[in-house]
Amino acid sequence: MSPIAVVFKKEMREILRDRRTLMAIGLAALATPIVLFVISQVSTKTASQAYTVGYSGTVPAGLDTLFNAVGLKLERVDDPAAAAKHQVDIGVAFSASGVDEYLDPTRQSAQLADVRFQTVLSRYDAAKVAASLQEKGVDPSVLNPLPVMLHPLSSPSQAVGNSFLSFFLPYILITMSLTGGLSAALDTSAGERERKTLESLLLTPAPRSQVLVGKILAVSSISLVAALASIVSMLVALSQVRFGGNGGQSFEVQLSPLAATVMVWLAVLLAASFSSLTITLGTLARNFRQGQAYATPLYFITIFPASIVLFIPDFNPNLAYYLIPILNAVLVLRDAITHNSVAWDTLAVTSLSLILTGALCFYAALKLFTREALLVRS
Amino acid sequence: MTQAAVKVDRLEKTLGSNKVLRGITFEAHSGEIFGLLGPNGAGKTTTLRVICTLLAPDSGSVEVLGYDTRVSPQEVRRRVGVVTAEIGIYPRLSARENIAYFAELTGVLNGEVKRRVDGVIDRLDMGSFAEQRAESLSSGQKQKVAIARAIVHDPPVLMFDEPTSNLDVLASREIREFMVESKDRGKSVIFSTHVLHDAERLCDRLTIIHQGRVVASGATAEVRGAFKDLEDSFLSLVEAAG
Repeated sequence: MSPIAVVFKKEMREILRDRRTLMAIGLAALATPIVLFVISQVSTKTASQAYTVGYSGTVPAGLDTLFNAVGLKLERVDDPAAAAKHQVDIGVAFSASGVDEYLDPTRQSAQLADVRFQTVLSRYDAAKVAASLQEKGVDPSVLNPLPVMLHPLSSPSQAVGNSFLSFFLPYILITMSLTGGLSAALDTSAGERERKTLESLLLTPAPRSQVLVGKILAVSSISLVAALASIVSMLVALSQVRFGGNGGQSFEVQLSPLAATVMVWLAVLLAASFSSLTITLGTLARNFRQGQAYATPLYFITIFPASIVLFIPDFNPNLAYYLIPILNAVLVLRDAITHNSVAWDTLAVTSLSLILTGALCFYAALKLFTREALLVRS
Repeated sequence: MTQAAVKVDRLEKTLGSNKVLRGITFEAHSGEIFGLLGPNGAGKTTTLRVICTLLAPDSGSVEVLGYDTRVSPQEVRRRVGVVTAEIGIYPRLSARENIAYFAELTGVLNGEVKRRVDGVIDRLDMGSFAEQRAESLSSGQKQKVAIARAIVHDPPVLMFDEPTSNLDVLASREIREFMVESKDRGKSVIFSTHVLHDAERLCDRLTIIHQGRVVASGATAEVRGAFKDLEDSFLSLVEAAG
């Protein structure tokens, strides 16, 4: 058996007996469904929540029925402005000249009640205008001289699902590729030094490059398993939960074969790169705790690229941006999910960039692994 | 005359800004226990690390069974087994798995690994705890695992660096008996220690190092000379060397 296989086998055996790593993978797989379930419950509760409208004056005929239908409860008050501060969600004063609405924008319940209130009023206004026109023999469609007919080319629920996936899937893929194997990476690098096993290991005639490859392969495998387990659990959870109650928005979650293939390929590259990087950091560290401190900034690296997709959904950079590791993976995966297509030039540049990153990290780890200072420091 | 297994010739080594070794020269032979004595910081561990190729010499040379450590480090590592005071073993592996891992890494053939591992487990009387995870073993048992992994590839040169410093009396005695047994099997045993009583009882020949220099070398009786014991001789030599 080659030293690579010997080290890989031993590392896997140790990792699978390490509660920290197993718990990290288990929690990662469970965390997404739990978070989605909580969001679903909160959105359901919000959708069915009734809000109170404190009013004065006379409610126009029929409007009270419309308010009731959307969960707005009317309550007569003396001063709607004063009541809107604490007593009710929004205050409304009906008068002959129109409607005065009072709300405190810092209260979320006021904002939600306002949205419903405005929707009802706009429908009421439109219905009133249409009725008046019809009474006078005028076709109400004159108010809409250029009607628009919308023809969606995919189901709206799938669009919502894709939009959701294009943010969460790259985020989870990157985060889990990093954190899923982090404990194992630090254990196999900083841990060797801390346990005083490093010297014995380096005393064997096994080439150090092969020892390192065995370690990176083992950590990469665990990272990959953690990332894929989290994504599968997220997809299953998304297909089961509904958002906004029974009549609310559901996601149609479909990961196309192309997107799934791209995702697995990127997961392999990310896992290998992150494993090399974290083992390098762990080799620099004197012990496990110091290794964790060195690795902490990496968490931010995983958050920023995914955030770009969230905050700039139409971010379409030129090819040079695909040289930036991690950001490139986010962008390629976003395109594969939302458009079900992959530009091969961006995928090639992304793959090259991630492979080079992994190779550089491997080289750095190997350099550290063969330095006398490694032993002297220990 | 026994065969020279390890030849150290005018060895010099600087670590950082500290010149640790300043021309160390000695030979250790097969079938003997060779003592490397000196106070803490004298350069004993650094010397052993250069011999087993973990550190490269700045000048001078080291040969193990004819292989130069700079030219053929892999060949040297195949022929050396090292036991240190710091018993580093993998806690989540069993004693047997720890030994087998090092057997495979030192090039023991696949079909041979089990036989070799069983052999050292028998030889060191480890049968009662061989399947236990290392994290649950006592210090003495862990030291046995460390010895077993160092000898599982049957190296002709064995180096012990302060092997008894963390052990109780019984475990220390077992280590000493093992060194004698290894010598009787024809191994070259290099024993680094500052416990002069152990050295006097065990070593056939020895070298005393102080501040990176050899201050005395020869058969144990010669180095002791006219003094009552090795400790008096050692103190006299070290004081004379400044």
